[in-house]
Amino acid sequence: MIDLSQIRYRYEEELGEWVLNGVDLSVSKGEYLLLCGGSGSGKTTLGYLLNGLIPHFFEGTLEGTVTVQGWDTKDLTVSDMITRVGLVFQNAEAQLFNSTVENEIAFGLESLGLSAKEVAEAIDRTASILHIQHLLSRPPAALSGGEKRLVAIASVLGLNPPVLVLDEPLAHLDWEGARKVREVLVDLHRRGTTVIVIEQRVDTIFRDVTRCAVMGSGKIVFDGAPGDALSALLDQRLIPQYPLDPRRKNGEKPVLLRARSLFREIEGKAVLNDVSLQVNEGEIVAIVGKNGAGKTTLVKHFNGLLHSPQGEVSFVGKGIRGIPPPEMAALVGVSFQNPNDQFFKNTVKDELMVGLQIAGGDSGEWIEELCSLFHLHELLEKSPYRLSEGQKKRVAVASILAMRPKLLVLDEPTVGQDGRFLEILAGLLFSLRERGITIIMVTHDMEFAQATAERWIVVHEGRVVGDGSPGQLVKDESLIELGALGLGDA
Amino acid sequence: MRKQNGGTFDPRTKLALGMMGIAAVLMTGNARYLVVEFLLLFLGMSLFKLLRPWVRSLKLMLPLVVLVFVVSLLSFSLIPALSLSLRLFNLFTLSFIFFQSMDPQELGDSLRQMGVPYEFSFILTTSLRYVPLITGRMQGIMDAQRSRGIDLRLRLRNVPHFMALFMPLLIQAFVLAEQLAMAMETRGFVAKGRTFRKFYRISILEYGIMVSSLGLLLACGVWGKG
Repeated sequence: MIDLSQIRYRYEEELGEWVLNGVDLSVSKGEYLLLCGGSGSGKTTLGYLLNGLIPHFFEGTLEGTVTVQGWDTKDLTVSDMITRVGLVFQNAEAQLFNSTVENEIAFGLESLGLSAKEVAEAIDRTASILHIQHLLSRPPAALSGGEKRLVAIASVLGLNPPVLVLDEPLAHLDWEGARKVREVLVDLHRRGTTVIVIEQRVDTIFRDVTRCAVMGSGKIVFDGAPGDALSALLDQRLIPQYPLDPRRKNGEKPVLLRARSLFREIEGKAVLNDVSLQVNEGEIVAIVGKNGAGKTTLVKHFNGLLHSPQGEVSFVGKGIRGIPPPEMAALVGVSFQNPNDQFFKNTVKDELMVGLQIAGGDSGEWIEELCSLFHLHELLEKSPYRLSEGQKKRVAVASILAMRPKLLVLDEPTVGQDGRFLEILAGLLFSLRERGITIIMVTHDMEFAQATAERWIVVHEGRVVGDGSPGQLVKDESLIELGALGLGDA
Repeated sequence: MRKQNGGTFDPRTKLALGMMGIAAVLMTGNARYLVVEFLLLFLGMSLFKLLRPWVRSLKLMLPLVVLVFVVSLLSFSLIPALSLSLRLFNLFTLSFIFFQSMDPQELGDSLRQMGVPYEFSFILTTSLRYVPLITGRMQGIMDAQRSRGIDLRLRLRNVPHFMALFMPLLIQAFVLAEQLAMAMETRGFVAKGRTFRKFYRISILEYGIMVSSLGLLLACGVWGKG
């Protein structure tokens, strides 16, 4: 059905570097293929080859041939490909550009010039397969992450392509959203669709697929049954091997941050409802819970980005109300999910120095120490925009730490990152704690939270519903029944 | 008239009424009449339950209105300053009601039905739809930069800091535009022979309302000059 033969490809701007360097791959009808690889391995580029975006949308050098259903993709346009291969992009926000879910599914069908009746029938059929009939009249922007992903799948599935390619369909989803998407993909495969999933986190979807191909440095380094892929996955560090926590001491520690009775309402809905918690010096604490539980809203109160109309937040015993966030940066550093939100300088070095320069501080030694700790020396003169996702995250966190805060808050640090980076990040957290920095991380990544945090605070629907050691909480069936924790499905 | 209620008017009627409303505000120079116009708009918003979102939108509206008032007060005198700022305030409020009452897709469909090429109406509707997304991104960038010590409060000394807001926003907008172009291409945006499923028909009642409004507008023109 799909044949890639001796493929080499490089983007126009990346002169000399082959993103794909000698790829041979055949996919037969009815397969469910997991194509996995770390950041920069070339897997997304391979996805663009399958539906003709390369060579028709991206300019670059392509060697070798890609045939889909016997047609060379060079001889077809991208429009010709839409009924042959459906590609679901990683960024659902860019893929969903219509006013309602119904119009979203209709868009591709209207492009084909089908009659209104045929379009309506295809919408009904697609919505029924994905169980999203109840969403048809809703605007895509108002949906949850998992629902958006299902609608993105529906938008290409409506065209009834025999091959469906999905680029990181589980990224950004919590265990509940991920489970729904996985169920849908298994169902589509059972109905006869050839499914190709491109992923860098392989832990759960691995159980569903019939075949696994592992990519590394632009090549396929393993191709075979999922059961035989373990050693290749470990070699490519796609299954993270977390370092052991070197120091987990119990005992009395002074309180660093205390939040008392925080409330917040957004558009009439309670996002935080009487939240109280405390974090002690030298702890690594994970605030865990589903997407939309109120976790990010909660941590925005820790550095004064938000203030609760009631209750208070105190840091080392003093209330923070009235201290503007830029001044709080020297006490509490918050690193948000998307590192691209921070970058505006030409070099990594300038990015690291920016906060300090504004504050008029001089911490050359500390910056030097951070560069060593985060392995940034070789990146200092590079543009932050040209880095890999893992490198960007390291620079973003280091630039927060440049202000030398006592408390570091990381918002979903594992989202969009590969196993290699997760191992590095876990080691960094332990090293930072040794240097006296207390860490709070917000995450729905239970595996990472178990490997790194000594205490969990479980947030569900704006309330703290659990606070204790991960070992105890994962055994608490009431939390799992409530949906506040979802072990084994994330 | 609200989109949440399923849109009782043809989008072209809404467009025509909106244009006439804007013309009425622009034609009115007298501050007292501008106040009357605002009261009518206020009444309309109460009827269509738009007051709460309108109050929220004041956060964006008021700084500009106040700026216009101050600048014109310094340049002219109190009455012209009041008149100019009230006119701007009414224009903002009217635009707010217009966009609240009409989905961008409806606007695009109506423009297409009026003969505007599909590519242009699509660009317009998509741009409008991405405004809230870009606003959300801007808030995210502000939070990220303030969290690392960059002061983005509206102060003269902070002007150079705003590069930290605009650069990431610009780059993210470009990336989003490229991703959107890819997504559109892979769903056949450029294919010939697109089906258009939505067609609207203007009712006799709507024609009546438009003619009455036009009459009122002309009367307003005479009244405003008087």
